[in-house]
Amino acid sequence: MRLTTLLTSKLSLVAASFMAVSVAAPVQAAECIAPSNPGGGWDFTCRTIGRIMQELDLVDGNVQITNMPGGVGAVTYAMVANERPDDAELFVATSTVGITQIAQGRYPAPLDAMRYIAMLGADVGVIAVDNDSPIQTLADLNEILVSDPASVTTAGSSSAGGWDHLRLLMVAREAGQESLGDIRWVQFDGGTDAVTQMMGGQIDVVSTDIGEIAGFIESGDIRVLAALSDEPIPAFPDIPTAKSQGIDVTGYNWRGVYTGGKITDAEYDKWVSDLETLYNSENWQTAAVEFGLVPIWRGGADFEAYVREQRDVMEQISRDIGVIN
Amino acid sequence: METLSLLAGGFAVAFTPLNLTLLFAGCFFGTLIGALPGLGPVNGIAVLIPLTFAFGFDPASSLILLSAVYFGTMFGGRISSILLNIPGDEPAIMTTLDGYPMARAGRAADALAISGVASFVGATIAVIGLSLFAPLLARAAIHFGPADYFALYILAFATIGGISGIDPRKTLISALLGLMIATIGIDPISGIPRFTGNNYHVYDGIEPIVALVGLFAISEILFLLEKTVKERTKAIHVESWLPSWKAIWMTRWAMLRGSFVGFVAGVLPGAGASLGSVMSYTAEKQKSNRDGTFGKGDPRGVAAPEAGNNSASGGALIPMLSLGVPGSGTTAVMLAMLISLNVQPGPLLFERQPELVWGLVASLYMANVALLILNLPMIGIFTRLMAVPTWALMPIVAAVSFVGVFSISNSTFDLELMVAFGVAGYILRKMDINLVPLVLGLLLGGDMERNLRRAMSISDGDWSILIASPISITLYILTAGFLALSIYLMRRENIREKALSE
Amino acid sequence: MSIRLGGVAIFVIAALYTYYGKDYSAPFGDVLGPAVFPMIVGIPLMVLSGSLIVFPSGEVTWPARNHLLRQLAALAVLVGYALFLVPLGFPIATFALIALLGMVLGGAPVKALILGASMSLGLWVLFDQILGLPLAFLGSLFGDF
Repeated sequence: MRLTTLLTSKLSLVAASFMAVSVAAPVQAAECIAPSNPGGGWDFTCRTIGRIMQELDLVDGNVQITNMPGGVGAVTYAMVANERPDDAELFVATSTVGITQIAQGRYPAPLDAMRYIAMLGADVGVIAVDNDSPIQTLADLNEILVSDPASVTTAGSSSAGGWDHLRLLMVAREAGQESLGDIRWVQFDGGTDAVTQMMGGQIDVVSTDIGEIAGFIESGDIRVLAALSDEPIPAFPDIPTAKSQGIDVTGYNWRGVYTGGKITDAEYDKWVSDLETLYNSENWQTAAVEFGLVPIWRGGADFEAYVREQRDVMEQISRDIGVIN
Repeated sequence: METLSLLAGGFAVAFTPLNLTLLFAGCFFGTLIGALPGLGPVNGIAVLIPLTFAFGFDPASSLILLSAVYFGTMFGGRISSILLNIPGDEPAIMTTLDGYPMARAGRAADALAISGVASFVGATIAVIGLSLFAPLLARAAIHFGPADYFALYILAFATIGGISGIDPRKTLISALLGLMIATIGIDPISGIPRFTGNNYHVYDGIEPIVALVGLFAISEILFLLEKTVKERTKAIHVESWLPSWKAIWMTRWAMLRGSFVGFVAGVLPGAGASLGSVMSYTAEKQKSNRDGTFGKGDPRGVAAPEAGNNSASGGALIPMLSLGVPGSGTTAVMLAMLISLNVQPGPLLFERQPELVWGLVASLYMANVALLILNLPMIGIFTRLMAVPTWALMPIVAAVSFVGVFSISNSTFDLELMVAFGVAGYILRKMDINLVPLVLGLLLGGDMERNLRRAMSISDGDWSILIASPISITLYILTAGFLALSIYLMRRENIREKALSE
Repeated sequence: MSIRLGGVAIFVIAALYTYYGKDYSAPFGDVLGPAVFPMIVGIPLMVLSGSLIVFPSGEVTWPARNHLLRQLAALAVLVGYALFLVPLGFPIATFALIALLGMVLGGAPVKALILGASMSLGLWVLFDQILGLPLAFLGSLFGDF
């Protein structure tokens, strides 16, 4: 029994120093599932929304955060669809990546199995080259992509057919390249990995979210050819959008949440209005910008329509390039 | 000079009553989490993020608490490696090779003390290296392309061959099995699932910690059950509850060599602490294993990987802070923590927020000092764990491993997988196949494959890219030299043994 | 003989792995493709395990029958835990795990029960209350969670 006493005495020590947080364990009024390990973008969505909901008293007590990694969100998607479709206390973090997965049929249930509540912010896609690159503008790049695609190596943080890749191909297609498979793509584990390799001269072009690589833009190590947004990015007003250069492509990576497909309309509307309150709070606006997001609101029916449209666009281009049949 | 004054400023920040308290509390808490099998730095820091928000600490204090927990868990991982033959986390795996045999021989206190001092030495060397070379190394690391990484992994696997075992075929089989398991899941390059049997639970691949705990902890239980009740319940004879200073002093060169090798491995973005501890162990073994004592409880086999993985963790801060590229799962969580504190690592961090960078370096160093102060007196308590009868200890270990895994993934599938790994591990160990190369294959295999494929994509299918850069050529020459030396040493050993037997 | 059997098992796994691995292909954008690395791993593994079948090294002594039964009992307890954790909830399942495993390992029944009771509650407090990693106190058998 010596071990037990040892452990309990240690326990009480630890308990003493950390009790402050756990004194009150109130009734769980909301639960957010981050379908990933701690530390990523979905985890940030859950933890930040959870924290601010408490700060704004939008829930009784605290928001429980559960990590449920697996299959780029597929494990959580299956669980919610099968076990908790009518649980009004549950919401799940998702993003453009989740919709890409659905569009390519990689989730065990269709889009309609869930109700999409809102998007609260977005990271903006950019296309960048090394500072020393001969490619000066998006037009230069497009000319190469159309006439001699084999001469450049493009890269980003997603797999072939993932969102970083798709939005680059959308630009190339808009520029007039029909056989998109001729463009070479190299996957790296993150946007910064790709940029670092570009600075080391291994690859020529990077397509990824701006948030992670902002430091390299400020330091002048890389040059951004185009931002894939409707309006210039507030933090980088000098970066031209693709639209302003005649390429009508946007590529946001939005962050938002969904809930089970069988909750009532009243419960759904309550979520939408709560999250809108949260979105409009100073707390969210600051937290989002700190994490490198542009705060953007789309909620309720408007958001559900947006998600459907985005899925259709992705499905089409995935089919065109042969990711799916 | 400016660096030094900034570093001094960092130390000054740490010396407030609140920060010192946080430092020691974090180290203690971290050691506890790390010592529980299945729980490692990732859990410790994930638990911590909401805590720092709850208390509203300023960034400096949060960083200190974070660093303390980070190194605390790393240190705690050694304790279960040494005492139970169950690595608490991935980088601790090399420590089982000589640490556990030492504990079996009654020298648990020595092994724990050596690992503590070696960690401290490794961290010290890493801090010196950081202060002197950080800006320089950050720029140099950029030139490591995918082909060079592939060459580095080839070197790592060539050195793994020297880890253990009488029959090199079995070591290779083990490593290949690990590489095989590493390919399970969605292939991050093409996005297609491989070897998943359409089971969504393995789409993200096999979580190394699940394999690790299953292979080591559960197979250990099965091994215990082979013995009779009498043998099982007999506690290990302990030579001494307290470490001998002489034993620590004797490993000083191993510590320094390990620190150096580990630091170099850590600086390469993406290589990380596991690689650091492997390379420093195998290098030390190559250098010092004159009498064949490695793997049987040689103190230098504890000192080198411990120093190596701590200095690698320190070295890994360079790519993490200056490029934003995390070297391992642990630094990835640290990166997330920094971002949540509104610190964006990147090329401008050293220029814009130097006080923060050096404050972090100072607090990491302080954490190592605190751990040394905290843990040397606690060695006596930890070694007494050896006196707990196995019928009580192993069920608790099993329960904690299960909870540790379950609390992160919330999936009972992972628990079933753990048991399956336990059975596989038992059978492999019965066949005299060492499990360490398997786990290393699992840990490094994914990156090895991806870098090979990235290189081939860049060259558009031309294999010559693999030997096109001076870096990769150098690494292949090193590999060849290493293999030649191993074969030479093995030959000499055989000749000597023959001479002895005649 | 056991080494040979083990070699056969590894050979079969490697052969199946290679067989399934060779057909993976990516539509585009991936020059080497997803099938080459599994070949690089699978084929040498087949060769090595094959050599172990032909030239085995070392010997295995399997435990006696009553020990084998105890090992099976331990595995049953561990698998049972994985199956019943969600229905029973954390403390009850963990109590059973520790108590039963303690007995299989040769602990006195009463002591094992006491250990199970104290540790299961202690671990629940440690994880759920202190570390904030949610664990259901009562399982799905007892209504909502």
